[in-house]
This record gives sequence, C-alpha cells and structure tokens, in this order.
Amino acid sequence: MGVGDPLNQFEAFVNAVGSVFDGPVTWFRESVVDKNRPEYYWYHRQFRRVPTIDECYTDDIVCFVEANEQFKRDRMVDNEVLSILRQRHHDCILYEGHDHKEKCASIKEQYDKAAENWFIKYGDLGVYGDVKAAYMKQKHRLLWERRHGPVGTGMKNPME
Amino acid sequence: MSVISCLRLSSLRNNIISPTKCLITVQREMGHGGPKKMVITASRWQWHKYKDLLHFYTMLGLIPLGTLVFAINVFIGPAKLAPIPEDYNPKNWEYYQHPISRFLARFLYPSHQQDYEKYLHFVYEENEKKQMRLLETKVKEMMAERGDSQAFYYRPILTKYHRYVRKVYDDLDDTRGY
Repeated sequence: MGVGDPLNQFEAFVNAVGSVFDGPVTWFRESVVDKNRPEYYWYHRQFRRVPTIDECYTDDIVCFVEANEQFKRDRMVDNEVLSILRQRHHDCILYEGHDHKEKCASIKEQYDKAAENWFIKYGDLGVYGDVKAAYMKQKHRLLWERRHGPVGTGMKNPME
Repeated sequence: MSVISCLRLSSLRNNIISPTKCLITVQREMGHGGPKKMVITASRWQWHKYKDLLHFYTMLGLIPLGTLVFAINVFIGPAKLAPIPEDYNPKNWEYYQHPISRFLARFLYPSHQQDYEKYLHFVYEENEKKQMRLLETKVKEMMAERGDSQAFYYRPILTKYHRYVRKVYDDLDDTRGY
C-alpha cells in the first residue's frame, strides 16, 4: 500500500467524489496548459549597498535620501527576520504544550536577544523616525554608555 | 400596427419569391374584439435601459477582455522565479511575474530606476532652493538685528521727479518773470 492510497472504502468514495471536480481540471491543465506555455523567467529586484548615513556630508541631501531608503529596506528585512523567530517560538510552544518552558528555552532566548537588538536599533523612533533619528539614537546611547557604563547598570551620580 | 422589413426571418420564407414587396404592414390577427383603446401601463424604460447596458458591457467588455485574459493566462502563463544570472542586468519588465504586468511595465509605465533617479534630482533641486532661502532669511535677520548694513533697509530716493519739478519752476520763472 502506497502513502497516498485510500485506507478504506469510505476514503475511496470521498476521493472519487473529489475527482469529479478535480479530474477535468487536472486533465485540462496537463494537456492544454502545460504543453503550450513558453518558458521565461522573472527576478527579484536586488538593491546595491549605498553609503550609510555616517558616511554622508551634512548638506548632501541625495546621499541622505539614499541612506534613508536603504535604512527602510533594512528595517523591513529585520522585521521579517524577527517575525520568523517569533513564529518559531510560537510553533514550539504549540507543539510542546505544557513542557514549553524547558523545551523551548533556547528558541525563546534566541528570539529575546533578537527582539532586544531590534529595539536597540529601531525602537522608539516614532512614525517619522528616519535614518537620522536612528543615527542620533545610537550616538546618544554611546554617549550615555560612556558616561554611565553599559545600559542596564543604572545612572551614575553627576557628582561622582 | 407595426411595419416589419421583409428581411426578417419569419417573412423571408413568405416573400422570397417577390422581393418588391419589401415593406409589409402586419396586423395582428386576434379575433376582432372591442373598440381601439390606449392601454395605460407603467413605463418599462428602466428595464429596457438595463438590458441595453447589460448587453453593451457584456459584448464590448466581458467577452473580449475575458477571452483575452483567459488566453493569456492559459497559453502564456506567469513567469518562473529564477536567480539573476552572473553578468546579466535584467530589463525593468523582467521583475514582474504576470505577462500583462510585464507588458504594461515594458511599454506603458516608466521604470523604477527612472522614477528613482528623477526623484533624487527633484530632491536635489528643492534642497538647493531651500538652502538659498535659508541663507536669505538669515541675512535679513542679521541685517535687522545689527542695523549696520545699508543694503536691505536703505530706502533709495529717486531724484528724477525733483529734477523735473525744478525744471518746471525754472521755465515758469523764465516765462512769467516771477
């Protein structure tokens, strides 16, 4: 018995009913459509890397616009990556059920780290947050870290 | 009383021998009952207009475009996705899957690269204007604040009207003597 064979008569009957609709369509596809179609391709658009915002002069608007577009594309890619990691975590929870706290720990840690990094780079920029805002956010974070130590260890007293 | 042309199918059989009888008046034979009346009924104009529009849009729109789209989808079909080969620059229409989209991108719409470059040029021009305007406002503010430059707040006095008035007075002096 092959994998796709019906297990019992009822399943065979249901398959037969389905083939009333499926049969003609499949026949049409295989005999008419597949024989006459030409073979041609389409491609996904690939964008070259352009200079980032830290390599642009302050009065160079074209450089800024290109860096902004690249930033938006990179943010879209990062959003999708994060979605995939989140979906992996959710699938693991669904699969493991009540054991998910131990079984899915590594996946959860992977997702949490990725989410934290995403928030460091793109979080709290607001609706109008462009690449300049993200760059300034990074600059402020580095200054803060220079003054107070790593983020998460508290602020130092200015008197110190 | 209705007038029917002899080319109508029912009367063709009757009048095929003598084509001279080409316009016949047909009277309905319904057993001669009652005096002639004008029957007052509600208008069926909307129904007739609806049928008219339905036929128009079906014959001119649905059937031709439907067969065209069906033929394109069945006999040409969508493109297959492939990685870009080495050293090959795909044309701008090769980035679309459906054959109609490819057709539109190839012959009707400007390419993404063209749009992008035009946009960058536009942004550059507007930024140049913006910088010049900023400079102008800054210069005005400086001149207003310091008040040491004659350039903007200087009101020039035209002397040509004074000269004309003097000339008129001189002429009057000469002619009248006072």
